[in-house]
Amino acid sequence: MVNIKAAFNWLASCGGCEEAIVDLHEELLNVVEAVDIVYWPCALDFKKEDVERMTDGEIDVSFINGAVRTSDEEETAVLLRRKSKYVIAFGSCAHLGGIPGMGNFISAKEILRNSYLESPSLNQNEMTPQVETRQPEGIVTLPRFCDSVRTLDQTIPVDYYLPGCPPPTRLIKEALRALLGGELPARGSVLAPDIAQCHECPRKVTKPDEFHITEWKRPHEAVIDPERCILAQGFLCLGPVTRCGCDSPCIKANMPCTGCIGPISQIKDYGAKAVAAIASLFDNREEHEIEATLDQIIDPAGTVYRYCLPASQLFQRLPGENKRHNEVCA
Amino acid sequence: MNRKIVIDPITRLEGHGKIDIFLNNEGDVDRAYFQVPELRGFEKFAQGRPSEDMPQITSRICGVCPTAHHMAATKALDDLYQVKPPSATKKLRELMYCLFFIEDHALHFYFLGGPDFVVGPDAPKTQRNILGVIGQAGLEVGKKVIGLRKEVRELMAYLGGKAIHPVMGLPGGVSKGIVEEDQPRFIDAADHAVEFSQMSLEIFHDVVLKNPRYVEWVTSETYTHKTYYMGMVDENNNVNFYEGRLRIVKPNGSEYCKFPPEKYLDYIAEHVEPWSYIKFCYLKEIGWKGFQEGMDSGVFAVAPLARLNAARGMAARSLRKRMTACFNSSVRNPFITL
Repeated sequence: MVNIKAAFNWLASCGGCEEAIVDLHEELLNVVEAVDIVYWPCALDFKKEDVERMTDGEIDVSFINGAVRTSDEEETAVLLRRKSKYVIAFGSCAHLGGIPGMGNFISAKEILRNSYLESPSLNQNEMTPQVETRQPEGIVTLPRFCDSVRTLDQTIPVDYYLPGCPPPTRLIKEALRALLGGELPARGSVLAPDIAQCHECPRKVTKPDEFHITEWKRPHEAVIDPERCILAQGFLCLGPVTRCGCDSPCIKANMPCTGCIGPISQIKDYGAKAVAAIASLFDNREEHEIEATLDQIIDPAGTVYRYCLPASQLFQRLPGENKRHNEVCA
Repeated sequence: MNRKIVIDPITRLEGHGKIDIFLNNEGDVDRAYFQVPELRGFEKFAQGRPSEDMPQITSRICGVCPTAHHMAATKALDDLYQVKPPSATKKLRELMYCLFFIEDHALHFYFLGGPDFVVGPDAPKTQRNILGVIGQAGLEVGKKVIGLRKEVRELMAYLGGKAIHPVMGLPGGVSKGIVEEDQPRFIDAADHAVEFSQMSLEIFHDVVLKNPRYVEWVTSETYTHKTYYMGMVDENNNVNFYEGRLRIVKPNGSEYCKFPPEKYLDYIAEHVEPWSYIKFCYLKEIGWKGFQEGMDSGVFAVAPLARLNAARGMAARSLRKRMTACFNSSVRNPFITL
């Protein structure tokens, strides 16, 4: 049997997706038996030039994690797309933008200004990173820092999505099994159950039919009862609008779901759906009461779009320069 | 025209990097630029978000060491809310942090940095990795590495919800404790981790220290940096991973300063170069004098070697003995002054 060829690569991401692969533990040994890993910067010494030398479509599947923020990340994504039969967007950043996607709340210029000109730790030498720097020995280059963060499928065509921050071990194993067995679902699918988090929540039986929320609490303001539905206790849990498949690790640690695995497929805009869901939980009748309860949610946009701003309809409609994806660099 | 060698990307470590090496007419290295070619902008987009979300947002800086960022942010919340965590909370956090230290160092030793030593720098690049290490040290060792990491990562998930991007940290607290019947799992893991560390030290001893070529290399001037060193210490100046004061020693090993972490801006500043998105930390009082080593330069080092240099020793007696054995052997890095 000929082994399939696979690549793992990171773009604007944290390395947690790579760790999720390493955390397959003994299963990793079976994976390397069946798969020739031809590119994986985090763990193997192959370079970009090794990928460039491959023929188009030579890699069977590329698992690409991370969002796209720099010109280099875009080029790498395009290169891997050309060399691969299948591309799987691996993890929240590639899928929806992820935490780095929150950069789209502000402009690239503001990010650069803050990091290199305004941060209180700086020595104020008024220098900022440049695409080209002339040094005595020659020219040193940097990739461009683009106007906005994009998801992987806003950059290249994507065949499948493995959601989560990071994708849960169970889903990675199932995806590998489907891939090796040639039993992949329809192209474009998210490789996870298409049902809400609450469905597999260990506290499911305590979820009330109707919610009567009059006050929101922050997780450090009161002790969360470890048995009861977290949302019913008045802590903002995004389980109702979030996909399941992660086995609810945050809820098992007695903390609310923050929605890292993204929405079920019927939901077009996760944040908008979350806002609608939150609004339906209130027990207040008077407008000023509703407003007061809403005001208790600190940073609503950052809460409901925490992992998915670049993929959202909200972002497409935001005014201003951070919407474009032209090249900018300080 | 000078010749340029580009290493893109740098591999077997967390993070994005590229190295541009310029050679002179004789073919020797003139200057090398270690560049970080990416920026996500956490410093800016974290502003305006709820403070209690920082442990979960900042952990995404690095998914290999999310526990470090999670814990740092959690401790910043203690300061912000002016709360002193109760004893049980402190112990649970410290337990989590020690679990993280074990698996993270095992990851470095076997998966990331270690293959250069274990498989050897002359090995083909297809073998300089964990699979090469298993080939060299044997499948039994490989299974022990995987087994220990699995045991430790599962306990981290027990405490933190997820081992990658934990959710346990709250101002003055943690979200979850350990039920009594699960306590033996943690005690067993500690025993296994000590055994595992001893095995790893033996591998290091056999593979690296017994190889005169390696020893010559790592003790050579090329591999030596005489900088200031910073690490966290307890009240006896022993290494502490979870809390204490930051101690900085001079290149000769004598104390330069010691301060509580929240005062970092008084001691440390950042310098920007136009050819990298990463900023370069230096000692504020001495100032930025370029990429120079020595007493007159503000450049300082952190992480394992610096941590040991900046401390008097380890708090645990068994480790103290082991440390002396290590540093008094033929590997005597010139900058180790313990």
